[in-house]
This record gives sequence, structure tokens and C-alpha cells, in this order.
Amino acid sequence: MNYKLVIGWLYPELMSTYGDRGNIICLKKRCEWRGVKTEVKNLDLGFKIYDLRSCDFLFMGGAQDRQQKIVAHDLKKKSETLKEMIEAGTPGLYICGAYQFLGKYYKEADGTIIEGLGILDLYTENPGENHKRLIGNITVEIYDLRFKIYENEKKNHKSYFINHKSTLVGFENHGGRTYLGKGIKPLGTVLKGFGNNGEDKTEGAIYKNSFGSYLHGPILPKNPHFADLLIKLALERKYPPSGEASKKSMDLSPLDDFLEWQAHEAIAKRLGISV
Amino acid sequence: MLNLLLIMLGKTIVIISRLFNFGHGSTWPGHFALNLKKNFIKDIIKLNPHLKIILIAGTNGKTTTGKLIKTILERGKYRVFQNESGANLLNGIASSMLLHSSILSTINYDYAIFEIDENTLPLVLNEVTSSYLILLNLFRDQLDRYGEVNTIASKWKKALEKLPAKTQLILNADDPQVAYLGIQKEQFSASVNTNPPQGCTLYFGLNDKKLFQTKRQHAVDSTYCPKCSSKLHYHSICYSHLGNWECRTCQFKRPTNIFSTPPQSTLIGTYNYYNILATTLVTKKIGVSDATINKSLKTFTPAFGRQEILKFDGKKAQIFLSKNPTSFNESLRTIKSLGAKEILFVLNDQIPDGCDVSWIWDVDFENYIDNFKHIIVSGDRCYDMGIRIKYARTQNSNVKSQKYLAKPDPASQDKSRVKIYEKLDDAVRNGLSNVKDNETLYILPTYSAMLEVRKILTGKKIL
Repeated sequence: MNYKLVIGWLYPELMSTYGDRGNIICLKKRCEWRGVKTEVKNLDLGFKIYDLRSCDFLFMGGAQDRQQKIVAHDLKKKSETLKEMIEAGTPGLYICGAYQFLGKYYKEADGTIIEGLGILDLYTENPGENHKRLIGNITVEIYDLRFKIYENEKKNHKSYFINHKSTLVGFENHGGRTYLGKGIKPLGTVLKGFGNNGEDKTEGAIYKNSFGSYLHGPILPKNPHFADLLIKLALERKYPPSGEASKKSMDLSPLDDFLEWQAHEAIAKRLGISV
Repeated sequence: MLNLLLIMLGKTIVIISRLFNFGHGSTWPGHFALNLKKNFIKDIIKLNPHLKIILIAGTNGKTTTGKLIKTILERGKYRVFQNESGANLLNGIASSMLLHSSILSTINYDYAIFEIDENTLPLVLNEVTSSYLILLNLFRDQLDRYGEVNTIASKWKKALEKLPAKTQLILNADDPQVAYLGIQKEQFSASVNTNPPQGCTLYFGLNDKKLFQTKRQHAVDSTYCPKCSSKLHYHSICYSHLGNWECRTCQFKRPTNIFSTPPQSTLIGTYNYYNILATTLVTKKIGVSDATINKSLKTFTPAFGRQEILKFDGKKAQIFLSKNPTSFNESLRTIKSLGAKEILFVLNDQIPDGCDVSWIWDVDFENYIDNFKHIIVSGDRCYDMGIRIKYARTQNSNVKSQKYLAKPDPASQDKSRVKIYEKLDDAVRNGLSNVKDNETLYILPTYSAMLEVRKILTGKKIL
């Protein structure tokens, strides 16, 4: 079967400050290595709705304040479509600024309220210049069983995974503190670092197949299980298995991720976490 | 009296530091002095009205430009001193002045050249009245330390408004953000009528067709008009966001009267032409003859870590400091043009390097990796760099990652193209072992990694 995924990259020119391109590169390569073709659609300022709709997976990164304001103005015009797609289960990854923008509002340091897209039940507040930014390496524990490490991978990695708990590693750098509402679950629990707000030990958010997070790194290269989960969700949605196969979820052929886990473990170890 | 004590103490600290190889002691004396006497810098300057100060700020090129200017001025028989590269915060400036002054607080030099860290420029402008202020460029660098290019630009704008009339501004016209600072400054000066009136800003830029790029690099900032935020149009791009730019919405465009003919020099790489232009402009203004300028440039020895060539065990290594996406791209472009085959990448994440290494994914490795024969990776974040290389290669199937992890066994016959060594010593040794007699090992390190590599190759600490 010829598999192909269309990856919609929202505002690559403006929202690409923190190596976020690496997430796109990671997804592309991991698909290609499995024989899944990819097409990356650059959805820049003024993009057409039909281009957005044609995407099987969405990604949006973070940026400086000025760029974020420009993007907000453009994206607001297409927010209905984006909301529909997210509600319908289109898989997506939203980092930092994008994650904040999907929420109800962002309160700036000087008190100005910037309306968000209102798609996710969360809000973000910047407590002001007297408060430090939340910066540093971070390790998060995730319990969502969809991140389960497959048996094959366990064989490849021997001692790395003893049970189905797994971790995410990354680097966070944000002034805004995000608070989740009742309608949304966190992506994980902070083992070391600040996470959403430095108070409640939550990091990121998951709503249907949309994942928000503050993790740079970028997030996917050192968390190959997350990258594979996103690829899996996108493929399953586009090519729903039928008949007997519909009972099983789609299994991706395992890749040799020894290097990725080596890097993952190096960060966790630095933070005093043994994975 | 306090000055005398501080100066003597400072000089002693440096002697001890160098004796015991703790480094050059380039910031402690100043740090100490400023803690005891807040106005230390202002005072020393007041006591030395003959001393002219040249300030250089920008993300990339400060050290090379500083050394270029110093080389030319010295050949022109001026007495010059500069602060240690990297010691470019206030304590570095203070240290430098302290070390070069006599115990009577007199500085027997004609010119002082200070390279200034982007974030510190406003602070320095408060303390120092300079004769020349050179603004080279503004790129994304160490995001976790400075946050945002736009924030720095607006801080610079405020600082420039207070710039005294006697300071000659020399700006890179090819950088829209920097050029805008010049225009804003001119408008501000016109509105406040200084006496004497502010001299006009001097601009430099490149017009050589041979240097123009055809494809836009990825890690590009400032592609939006600093005035009206519309997307900028480029008639030509030299690298990153530097080129002949124009905003078709508000008509803001690159200044027209620019100095654009860099004299020949030993330095290669498009990025160095800008450093040479800035250098030539300032030394010409000072009054150095063209002959002296040209001779200095033609015989220039690069600053440490910036295209510096070192020999070790009969083999040659050349270091290209690569500390952010722009300088990394330019280093890769330059070594490719030199036919590089043996490469060593060293990625650290210490304070001078920036703790967040996400930026390596903004480097266009894809355009260069397949050209190299052997790639060795080391540093604090060697695995991150290893992953970046793995994903940059044109491979049809998933690469065997375990093979990337090199065993420091000299007997190992592993001829893998890409190898990761946690220990820098092993990486350097292995890298050099691949190099033939007429070949060079090209080393692309981040800042602290560059100091470590130099220490291995020369056996001594430079800072």
C-alpha cells in the first residue's frame, strides 16, 4: 500500500525561532525510513483554507512576541477550520507560542489580554518582568498508554524500558504560565523542571489527538516514541484499518533508535532521573 | 588611592592566574574593581582624555573585526589595546583598562578597542564615550540568554538616542535591523538639535554579484521590515538576512551611500567581507593610509578560533568557531568551498555556548553533510549533534545508530563515516588520524568547545 502523509506546517517563516524545524525533519525522515511518503505544506501568512484542510497532521512552533502578533492576526481568520479539524481528531503538535495561542487567552506582562483561538481549555499568564522566565532542561513522565513502548523496541533497548512508563526530555524557555481547565488533560508530570506553570507539576496538554507542550529540544528527535505516536495517529486516521485489522492498531516497523535513546537518557541523567 | 590599589591588585591577579594556568584572568580584576568602585570605568576615562575608544557590537564578527582594526592601527604606529575576546561584559572592559593602566591610572595608549556583548551595549554606552561605534549585525544567538533579537534591537535604539555627538556611528547597511537603528538615530538627532550636530552615520554593505546567494538559508531573522512589519523583498542576499533589502510596502530600503569595496585580505568567507569593510571604514576615518591598511589585510593572521590554523603532531587543523545557526552555516559553506573532507563538530552547552541546543536544527547540514568523508562528533551534547547528523544524511534506510558510538580503541577497524566520541581528546586524535599530509581537519566548535580544542592542540589555555 502506498502510504503518504501531508504535514501542514503552520507559519514556518514566522514561528520557527527555536529549532522547531527539527520536528518536521524528524517526522519526515521517520516516515521515509518506513516507506511512507511525506509532503510538507508550508502554511504561511495568507494561506488558503483548502490547503489547511488537506493536511493529515499539523505542526506549529513558537516565536518572538512581534512575530506571534502577526501570526495571531492571520490565524484568527481561519480559526473555525482549525477548530473543526482539531475537534474531528486531526493529529497535531503545538509548541510554546502555538500551544498558548490555542488556549482561551494570554495575559501579557503589562496586563494586556490577548485573545487566543479558544480551542483548548487553558489560559496563560505572564506574571511580569519581576518574575523569572521558566528556563532549563526538563524531564516529564507520561502515563498515556498510547506512548507505550512496543515489545520490539523493548528488545532493542534492553535495560531502558522496564515497564510502560516513559519520559519526555526537552528544554523549556517561557515567561507565560499555563493553567489547564477541566476539559483537558496534561501531557505529563514534571519530574525535573517547571512545566506549564512551575506550580502544579503538569506539562503540556493533550486534547483528542492534539498535543501542546513547552518542550523545545526540539521535542521529537530525542523522543522518538512521541514522533512515532504522532505518525501512527496520522496514518491510522487517514488509512483506517478495515475488517479483522480494524481491531488492532497500526504497528509501525521499529527503527534503530539507539542513538536517540542515548541522547534522551543523557539529559534525564543530568537531571538526576534514571529512565 | 583606591584606583592605585585596584590596579595593583588587578595586575597581581592576572599574573598569578597566568602563572598557574587558570586562564588569562580577563574578567576577575574588573569584576572586583567595579564591585568596590561603581564608577571605576568612568573615572579612568576621565583621567585619560587622550584615549580614543572604538566599540564593536554585533552577534558575529566582533573578535575578528577587533583584531583587524588593532593590526592596522599598530602598523600605522598607533598604540592600541583591546579587551580579551569573550571578556565583553562590563567587567571585561574594566579589567582591560585596569591591566593597561599604570599604577598612577594613566593609560599610555592612543586607542582602546572594546568588543561588546549585545546585551551589555546599553550599559557600556552609559559608562563610556566612544569615538567610534561599530554595529556589525544582529542574529539569533543564545536564545535562552537573551530571548529575542527584537528585544535587543529596541534596547540598542534607546541606548543610541543618548549617544553623544562625537561618537561616529558605523553601521552594516545590509542588516535591516541595524540600518533601521541608524535611520532612527538620525531622525532622533534631527529632532533634538545637538550642539555640535551629530556627524552622519557611515554605512557599509556588499554589492559584489559573485557573493550573492541563490537560495535563502533557513535560520533567517529580520526578514520582516523593522518599520512596518511587512515581508522584505531582497534584490540580493549575501548570507542569512544580510543583503540588498527593500520594503515594498513602506518604501524603507537599504541606505544608498554605502562603502562596499573590501580590500583583499587573508580571510575567506562572505561573512568576513563585512568585518573587513567595517575595519577599513574606521581606520580610514582615523587617518591610516590606504597602503598601511592594504598591507595589514594582506598579511593578517586570524584571531584565535576564527579560521585559525594549528599544527599538532605534524597534522593541520583549522578551527571555525560556529556558535549559532548563521555562523555555523557560513562555516560549512566556507569549508565546503575549501574542499573539506575531514570534519570534527564539537557541541557544548555551557554558559558561553547557550544551554539550549535546539538551534542546531536550524543549521542547513543537509546541504553539506554528504560532501564530507569522515565526520566526528564530540562535546557535552555529542548525542544531540549525532542525531542531527543522522537525520541530515541522505539515507534510504534507517542508519544503524549503534555504529555511531565509537569505541576509543585505536585498533578498531571501524571505518564508519560518522563517529561520536564523548571524550574530546579521543575525538581530536581520531580526527587527526584520518587526515593525510596535505589535508586539514576542519573543526567546527561552539565557544567553550573551541577553547577546549585549542587547549588540546596547543597545550595551553588562552582565556
